[in-house]
Amino acid sequence: MLAVGTLLHAKQMSRSPFEVVLALVVPVVQATLAVYLFRSGGEQHRLLEAAVGAGVMGVWSSVLFGSGGAIQNQRWQGTLEMIMLAPRRPVLVILPITVATGLTGIYALLATLVWGHFLYGIRLDFAHPVAFVVAAAVCVVALGLFGLLLAATFVLMRNANALANTLEYPVWLVSGMLVPITVLPSWTSPIAAVLPTTWGARALREATSGGPVWPSVAVCLAISLLCLTVGALALTHVERRARAAATLALA
Amino acid sequence: MKTLRLMTVGGVIAYRALFNWTTPGMFIGTLLVGPLFQLLFFAYLGRQLQVADDRFYIVGNAVLTASLACVFGGTMAVANERRFGTLGHVLLSARSRTAIFWGRVLPYAGNGLLIAVVTLTVGALLLGLRVPVRAVPGLLLAMAAGSLTCGFFGLTLGALGLRFRDVWVVSNVSVALLLLLTGVNVPASGLPGWMRAVGEWLPITHAAEAARRIAAGDGLAAAASPLGQELLVGAGYAAAAVVLLKIFEVESRRRASLDAL
Repeated sequence: MLAVGTLLHAKQMSRSPFEVVLALVVPVVQATLAVYLFRSGGEQHRLLEAAVGAGVMGVWSSVLFGSGGAIQNQRWQGTLEMIMLAPRRPVLVILPITVATGLTGIYALLATLVWGHFLYGIRLDFAHPVAFVVAAAVCVVALGLFGLLLAATFVLMRNANALANTLEYPVWLVSGMLVPITVLPSWTSPIAAVLPTTWGARALREATSGGPVWPSVAVCLAISLLCLTVGALALTHVERRARAAATLALA
Repeated sequence: MKTLRLMTVGGVIAYRALFNWTTPGMFIGTLLVGPLFQLLFFAYLGRQLQVADDRFYIVGNAVLTASLACVFGGTMAVANERRFGTLGHVLLSARSRTAIFWGRVLPYAGNGLLIAVVTLTVGALLLGLRVPVRAVPGLLLAMAAGSLTCGFFGLTLGALGLRFRDVWVVSNVSVALLLLLTGVNVPASGLPGWMRAVGEWLPITHAAEAARRIAAGDGLAAAASPLGQELLVGAGYAAAAVVLLKIFEVESRRRASLDAL
């Protein structure tokens, strides 16, 4: 059910020219910006790292806006009641949507790599190619599970859109997707440590340029499982409250 | 005088009507906090890569942050009229279209200026940039010029919304391209010639250059040339928006597609 649901929602999102163009074009613009910035800073040897970092930024944007608005979007489409009527736990019907946002975010990662390779001659010389593929898959699933937590909490807020707009750059910054965490103020370290994006980005970076990939993958998975548990509980709470107050379809 | 009233009062009324759904939380989150983190992101990235100093990133990004409100606002000034079903009423007005739509840009430009000022102030305080007090009027002028140009750029994109259905794709991509092509984050010398050439015709490029010179203590005279260029680019977009709105209005009437979404 999770696999079919994820595929269905990924296909549905891929039908939207808006989503596809943004998933492909914006990360490529960011990757280009990163390439020129790294070149200007004399860091030509880190261009692959920059392209991967820009790609992960795209995955996060896809999850943030897609998952954050997952329930609201169903509400606007008039399909929220139908999916909540399914004889399954709410988490099982919402999780495929949030994982699908991570999956469509993979467009961004692939687009930045292909773009960097063909236009800027970046050699796709990964230190650990197999680990990179595994880390990418884990990163997508982990961000999808994190997205479930976002979906469950954003639906409780009236200004969820504002929160989503606000969270894009802070997570890019604190997670070390392009800027190393070490150059940030020390108070940001505990925040970075509990974000799955930090560990996902770190795993991909280590698979790209060398380093112990698997511990980062493991921590990323552990945090995302925690997100799944909290997200599932929050969703059940939200659903019960909405049924009792008859507000499921109301924004 | 009547035209001026139409532009200012009309612009403010339209702004309030089109944004009645917004809240202080949404405004602060989207237009003040988000842009501030954008500035911090590039300032820390610039520090780490040692591409340029803090002033380059703080002043440049502060000017650029106006683009979010101005480009999307300018686009919404036309696109949301259609979405809310009120575009026909606007176009039925016997008053000058040019004055009506140019007036729409003014609140967005004011909004952009406010965002740029807040971002520069907070960014400078957080990252320890000292801006000479005598530079403040010049900086305000540069940020106002950038905001106004961005507003007219957004209005031009909004005009495209009369012809193309998904104008939001164009706006989102445009805002992302401004990050790259205006030389705000990568020094112009680090960009290829064609990107620099495109950047010359985009809003913010010259305003950011002017603001940097003023913040460096060079004085308003040193910034006069880029400021003039920015205003020239803005005038170009203002004219383009009017021409496009006229063409697409005639076309929409001919094809009876004015309200078709």
